[in-house]
Amino acid sequence: MAALRFNSLPGILEMNLTSSFSPNPKLSFASFHCDNKKRVSRMVVKAAKYKGTQMREKKLTELIEEKVLEAKQVCEGDETSDECKVAWDEVEEVSQAKADLRRRLQIEKKDPLESFCQENPDTEECRIYED
Amino acid sequence: MAVCTVYTTRSLSSTCSISTPSKTRLSSYQNQLVLYSSGKRSSKRGSSSSPWVISCSAGDSQTVVIGLAADSGCGKSTFMRRLTSVFGGAAEPPKGGNPDSNTLISDMTTVICLDDYHSLDRTGRKEKGVTALDPRANDFDLMYDQVKALKSGVAAEKPIYNHVTGLLDPPELIKPPKILVIEGLHPMFDERVRDLLDFSIYLDISNEVKFAWKIQRDMAERGHSLESIKASIEARKPDFDAYIDPQKQYADAVIEVLPTQLIPDDNEGKVLRVRLIMKEGVEHFSPVYLFDEGSTISWIPCGRKLTCSYPGIKFSYGPDSYFGNEVSILEMDGQFDRLDELIYVESHLSNLSTKFYGEVTQQMLKHADFPGSNNGTGLFQTIVGLKIRDLYEQITSTKTAAPLEATKA
Repeated sequence: MAALRFNSLPGILEMNLTSSFSPNPKLSFASFHCDNKKRVSRMVVKAAKYKGTQMREKKLTELIEEKVLEAKQVCEGDETSDECKVAWDEVEEVSQAKADLRRRLQIEKKDPLESFCQENPDTEECRIYED
Repeated sequence: MAVCTVYTTRSLSSTCSISTPSKTRLSSYQNQLVLYSSGKRSSKRGSSSSPWVISCSAGDSQTVVIGLAADSGCGKSTFMRRLTSVFGGAAEPPKGGNPDSNTLISDMTTVICLDDYHSLDRTGRKEKGVTALDPRANDFDLMYDQVKALKSGVAAEKPIYNHVTGLLDPPELIKPPKILVIEGLHPMFDERVRDLLDFSIYLDISNEVKFAWKIQRDMAERGHSLESIKASIEARKPDFDAYIDPQKQYADAVIEVLPTQLIPDDNEGKVLRVRLIMKEGVEHFSPVYLFDEGSTISWIPCGRKLTCSYPGIKFSYGPDSYFGNEVSILEMDGQFDRLDELIYVESHLSNLSTKFYGEVTQQMLKHADFPGSNNGTGLFQTIVGLKIRDLYEQITSTKTAAPLEATKA
């Protein structure tokens, strides 16, 4: 009988998820288990092929940092204010956008600019990004 | 009577004409006529030759519209990929258009992201103090007009909301597909849009699971910490509860994702309890059941015939009431570990709308690398995909049957 291995959801970080959060929980990476039980840092992302995609990745990473800082500042005064809600909503938006891009590169293994660059190979965005 | 619309991929220039292009070739695809002109064009701004497309639609179109409400971005999901896979083919962004388009197109389906109907871009929302969840940030009139147009076989120039820049980009042309899926935060918010939906689904993720998933999603990012992830969820919760959550009462199927009950005090969110809540009495939709329709069942498949590893699998099924609607609920708690568990479970479920024995298992195996492939999320998403296929086939056969009946009379 064939035994088939289903890949479960990537393993969550090995930390204690209790209700008391440490003041500065700086976890630099999440880890997941490969078949051969080696732990691989999730920060090793498949590199983008085109310059445009690399630029978008960079932009989104910067935006996330920027928007999180902004939200923390805005919410210091009043956590229930509209400004505070909007600030965290922006964080969510860019976090999701980054995750979508990451997914397309890592899991679907396709550069989102692939078809655009086939039609427009001479644009700045479509320069092949050398690793 | 057929209505034909002429449209081009570029705006009509007065120097172009349909009647006298040189060296035209005719090709036809479905009910569209495409004329390619390789002759000289008077317009100097032309890039590649843009084909003219004449699209004819029959009086009663056969575009089936599905609504999917979920909080985690668009074109994302695993759900979409499973659904398009049931129909065959992979869904891709439109070729050659805006690279930041949210739309996905496959042979049979087009998936539209409802974020494209934001009336306010990121700056606008900041100025007005509204989140993307707020109906005031969305143009429901345009959403209704365009979904209605597509449903009746007319193409639409749909705006594009760019999630990277936070701006509204120039529109892209969407041609009416066989199956249109509208996915996003508000597919069932506006009553007029709701009435256009042939089937609607709501993905209801519980707070604990949402937190666990967002940790997985965001912890690798430099800017994020457990605090920021938690704060973001909490800040969005009031708007979410006010505007998004109430849509679940209108859904024909709700997929509810909760933490498992099989492991005491489990807070990792790895093992899930998933409930498929199916509305009774929906046209073209017959709920899945276990063993005996309409009765209440609790079933643990693991035992003598089937060995499962910890924590095992538990199913339940029964009728219930959900926001005043009569529903049937099929629930799975636990994880699939092996192929034979999956096929065993499939063989005991009824009304799956499969075309052959083992189709559910086959679909799950095809996408074994997708998240949720070993639990109820993958299983129920796959089943809903098959139900949608069944619904589509019923609707389209009803429509072709009707004119035949008329001619017989």
